[in-house]
Amino acid sequence: MTRQLAMVIDLNKCIGCQTCTLACKTQWTDRGGREFMYWNHVETQPGKGYPRGWQEAGGGWSGDALRPGRLPRLAEDYGVPSEFNYDALFNDAREPLRPSTPPAWGPNWDEDQGAGEYPNAYFFYLPRLCNHCTRPACLAACPRQAIYKRDEDGIVLIDQDRCRGYRYCVAACPYKKVYFNPHAGRSEKCIFCYPRVERGIPPACAFQCVGRARHVAFRDDEQGAIHKLVDLWKVALPLRPDFGTEPNVFYVPPLSPPSFETDGRPSSRPRLPDDHLEHLFGPAVRDALARLEAEIARKQAGHTSEMLDLLIAYRHGDMFRLDRPKEAAQ
Amino acid sequence: MRRREFLRGSAASSLGLAFGGPLAPLVAHAAPAAGGTRAWEKLYREAFAASRGSSQGFAFHCSNCQGNCAWRVFAADGKVVREEQVAAYPPISPRIPDANPRGCNKGIVHSREMYQGDRLLFPLKRAGARGAGKWQRITWDEALTEIAAGVMESISRHGLGSLMLYCGTGILSQGRRAGPLRLGSLLGAQRLYPASAVGDMFTGASLAYALATTGHTLDAWFECDTIILWGINALVSRIPDAHYLTEARYNGARIWAISPDYNATAKIATNWVPVRPGTDAYLAMSLLHVLLRDGKIDEAFIREQTDLPFLIRTDTGELLRHRDLRQAGKDDLFYAWDEATAKAVPMPGTPGHFKKTLRLGDIRPALTGRYEVMGHDGKAIPVTPVFERIKAEAAKFSPERTHSITGVHPDLVERMAADFAGARKAIVNIGFSLHKYVSGTMTCWAAALACALTGHAGERGGLDTENNWSLGGIAPLASPKPARFTSGFFGEWMNGEMAATMRRHYRDEHLRNATGYGFDDVEALTRQRLERGGSYYGKPRVLLLFADNMFRRNKAERQHREAVLKGLDLYVNINHRMDSSALWADIVLPATSHYETWDIRGELGYHRFCNVTVPPPDLRRVGEVRSEWEICLALAEAIAKDAGRRGIKTIPDPDFLAQGTDKAAPVVRDFESLAADFTMGGKLKSDAEVVAWLMANVPQITPWTPDDARKHGFVVLNQEAGFTSPLYANRPYHSFERNVYLRQPYKTLSGRQQFLIDHPVFRRAGWALPTAIGPARPTSYPFAFYTPHTRWGIHSQWRANTLLLRLQRGEPLVWLNPKTAGARRVQDGDRIRVFNDIGEFRARAKLMPAVPPDAVVTDHAWEPYMFDGRTGKNAVVAGLVSLVELVDGFGHLTFDPNWDGNMIAHESAVDFAKVPE
Repeated sequence: MTRQLAMVIDLNKCIGCQTCTLACKTQWTDRGGREFMYWNHVETQPGKGYPRGWQEAGGGWSGDALRPGRLPRLAEDYGVPSEFNYDALFNDAREPLRPSTPPAWGPNWDEDQGAGEYPNAYFFYLPRLCNHCTRPACLAACPRQAIYKRDEDGIVLIDQDRCRGYRYCVAACPYKKVYFNPHAGRSEKCIFCYPRVERGIPPACAFQCVGRARHVAFRDDEQGAIHKLVDLWKVALPLRPDFGTEPNVFYVPPLSPPSFETDGRPSSRPRLPDDHLEHLFGPAVRDALARLEAEIARKQAGHTSEMLDLLIAYRHGDMFRLDRPKEAAQ
Repeated sequence: MRRREFLRGSAASSLGLAFGGPLAPLVAHAAPAAGGTRAWEKLYREAFAASRGSSQGFAFHCSNCQGNCAWRVFAADGKVVREEQVAAYPPISPRIPDANPRGCNKGIVHSREMYQGDRLLFPLKRAGARGAGKWQRITWDEALTEIAAGVMESISRHGLGSLMLYCGTGILSQGRRAGPLRLGSLLGAQRLYPASAVGDMFTGASLAYALATTGHTLDAWFECDTIILWGINALVSRIPDAHYLTEARYNGARIWAISPDYNATAKIATNWVPVRPGTDAYLAMSLLHVLLRDGKIDEAFIREQTDLPFLIRTDTGELLRHRDLRQAGKDDLFYAWDEATAKAVPMPGTPGHFKKTLRLGDIRPALTGRYEVMGHDGKAIPVTPVFERIKAEAAKFSPERTHSITGVHPDLVERMAADFAGARKAIVNIGFSLHKYVSGTMTCWAAALACALTGHAGERGGLDTENNWSLGGIAPLASPKPARFTSGFFGEWMNGEMAATMRRHYRDEHLRNATGYGFDDVEALTRQRLERGGSYYGKPRVLLLFADNMFRRNKAERQHREAVLKGLDLYVNINHRMDSSALWADIVLPATSHYETWDIRGELGYHRFCNVTVPPPDLRRVGEVRSEWEICLALAEAIAKDAGRRGIKTIPDPDFLAQGTDKAAPVVRDFESLAADFTMGGKLKSDAEVVAWLMANVPQITPWTPDDARKHGFVVLNQEAGFTSPLYANRPYHSFERNVYLRQPYKTLSGRQQFLIDHPVFRRAGWALPTAIGPARPTSYPFAFYTPHTRWGIHSQWRANTLLLRLQRGEPLVWLNPKTAGARRVQDGDRIRVFNDIGEFRARAKLMPAVPPDAVVTDHAWEPYMFDGRTGKNAVVAGLVSLVELVDGFGHLTFDPNWDGNMIAHESAVDFAKVPE
């Protein structure tokens, strides 16, 4: 049976700094035709995200059938990675430093924009990577059968020897987290840093997350954060569960300060609208938020909370449990 | 060959087919083909192994970032291939989350910038007019010889003070900063005070505590009940420590974020307080109003720890002093009304009192009432405690009254005040943006008063501007002789001749109404300050500028630049990259950047770790770069040689006296031995030796050695590191424990936390005690212009980084509320012109619902060269100084690192219009 290494990203601890994005970028995607790819990125929600309009680009499952999907466009949806005219600083007095081609989109294009009307504007940060799904649509869509899910950790990989770059996986992934490498002629995506994980080093995006928002553990590790947050306390939820792929990246949904009434009085309603959160995380998001708020109220009243202590993560190293539990290893 | 020139190898025609369009699935497979081998997986394993390099070092990034994070640096084939946080700081207590994995989005891509196109590789000399962009490569010898000749020519003709040798905030570490400091000190050169040059003085805290920077290690947030973040977008500007805020919230803390825009920090707060730009002082006074109205005050604390019981003369508005009661009495002995004996008694702990303690003994100082004391001339003097004045002032600013000014609903103020007063532990963080309003001093001072009223100090929290550590023992290295230490804000105000832009942009009457002072007050105090001397030494004629983006930073951008450049016979810029200031230099010298030489940094008090840069053994420096220490040593040798050629061995410097055993004599600037003096007689020739010297001589670093640094990349400071409290090994640091628990006096004029300043300028302007003033912004243009810190740079550093620009939109942006933009038919991405009577700049608009409708905002410190015409956002910012910050020579308001002023950055008004493409 496949064991599953999984991740919980706490959106109340994500500070939108993009250190994860760059940890991934400098680890994997700054070369060889991957420059436009962000295997991991952080987008502002509400927003069109990255690639632009990914939520409307199809893919995923409709029951047992794959839903049709679209390939994102390079310039308009991903954005061409800009190069800059640094030479102008050494030979010109007037030309400003600019991208050689004005970019039309990028991985963080709508940073901090969100929605709402001042002072009731709202936004939050949504880090995204391959979900290493239990029902990966990319795997199912590959005519070369080049995509597989590893038994030992559930990491979904594209066999770079078998792949012929047909891009059915790109279209099939409803999260648009598979990318076509035009130099290599093959598709690539987040590999959950398996070369790091195999050496006991957590994935770069998680280990280097300075907000300390990411927990990594095996799903069946009952002492691990994933089991507790996802299965036991049910405060971490998959993104767009309606896509049907059963992701293994989960999110603690975001709280927000209250909105204001028209006279400027603080209301009792959070400023993030429930329906937007429900659109992203499904109907379970309401209970998850209620549970989180109840635990915080308990803490404020002087009680302890195992859930919050886990989310606080007193020791950075405790956020990662990459070893198999002893009983499973036997 | 650059690795990242994406798509260069691909024919554009084929890309059209590879991207875009529908692609329907063929058939759903349940599993991969049987019998597939996984041998290919070595592809990414090998890539990972390569990213760990062939050798490893440690580094931090010594720019004007207060984060100070330890990184591992991996090098292969002479180049840095990647950096990753060390993430190994030890926890201080099981109750407090650890500090790992400190770092941010900038630190993680520094290695890319080392090899980026703006890196300086060789000494350059201008081959055209200044700023014309024409350069010729020269040798180090040519450069050093020419610079030495310029230096000696200037100081022999115009005096030692004609040289400015200034290391800006691009290097604030103790190691790399030591070279420029030491050379400038030996030569008696001018140097600016960097904190005030960049406008980072917390003068409100200086008034209260005689300390500008005070506060906590940021892990102290974790155990707070209430945290007030005032003008500080910590999620953007305190990235490595922001987790203590989100974790504090999970720990039950209530977090109040006060800012005009709904920013990343407001997002994680329990409450956001949307204050109108520049009206914070009104909000602060309303906070005081509620605390005082409801009697939510810790009387024991304020009687002992503050000047609130001190008697003030109601006839003159001055504090009652010994000299009022005795002829030829003391100036620094103050009184309270003792309820026990019903008479005025001198307060112990004031500087003029023989008891050097705050302990009151049997004295019960009154906080209220009106009294009379007998003056030395036999006449009665009417007096009242300062507290009465404070109460009367705060009474004017009910939340209902300030609502229309601040835009903050009274309910919000009431709740914040209740949270704050009810908190066992509360911290009020004052961000660097507040003092960039004229009112910032008042907001900060009032916040300090709120902390005092509620007894928030020591372990109960209190005001936090920024904690710094006290590193002793550095003087023999960094300042072997006195230098011409120049007020940063005043120096740049004078050198840039910025008063002209103040007169152009502001209206005297409006300024006077808003702030209590006008143009003539500023000019009169400027004259007084020049007559007093000691904080300004005239315009330099030779400028050796290290790691300072002076022409990016200063207000009235062009005005300042032209005024400075016209007085300079020689301008040398020493830098690791071509920045907006290097562009205007006569000679540019290429310096090492953060990973290429040994360095050490430990003064930053957000945490207790002192980081050490240990370059990877396999790393080769790029081009012909040299470290600052090596450059300064080479300059010392070249200057000594040039002086010898001129027959100059020494120059006496009577501006400074050196105290001998029985007499004082002028300091002598010794040119013959300059190089030997620089290296301490040959002991310190390299950065590694400088770091070793620091580790051996700074007591707070004891017992650690460079070997420990080689193993870990950091060491832990010991208990001696705190200024006002011990740094306990197992607890977050809190300021003022020695004052609050041991009753040691504060270093203020009153010896206590001080909330009344009776200097005549303060009294005339109506600033003698915390009150509401501002905004100074003129009404001639409709929008407030303010420029908060960015997550994409440390000021201008990293702003031109390719990888970071790809995560933005590739060029400068101006944030507009969609309604504001819509009214001028501006859409997201349109190019706009932002203008006023000072100047204009152009940039693209980004529509942000989170930005208030009455403001035009751009995140701080894009390089001017990134804008059209290379004119940056400071083109529309008028030069303005705060009158009270010009005061010098009054008790603790005497120019030094804890008392200097700010260039006001956020009080300009602008308009904008769409520019046709």
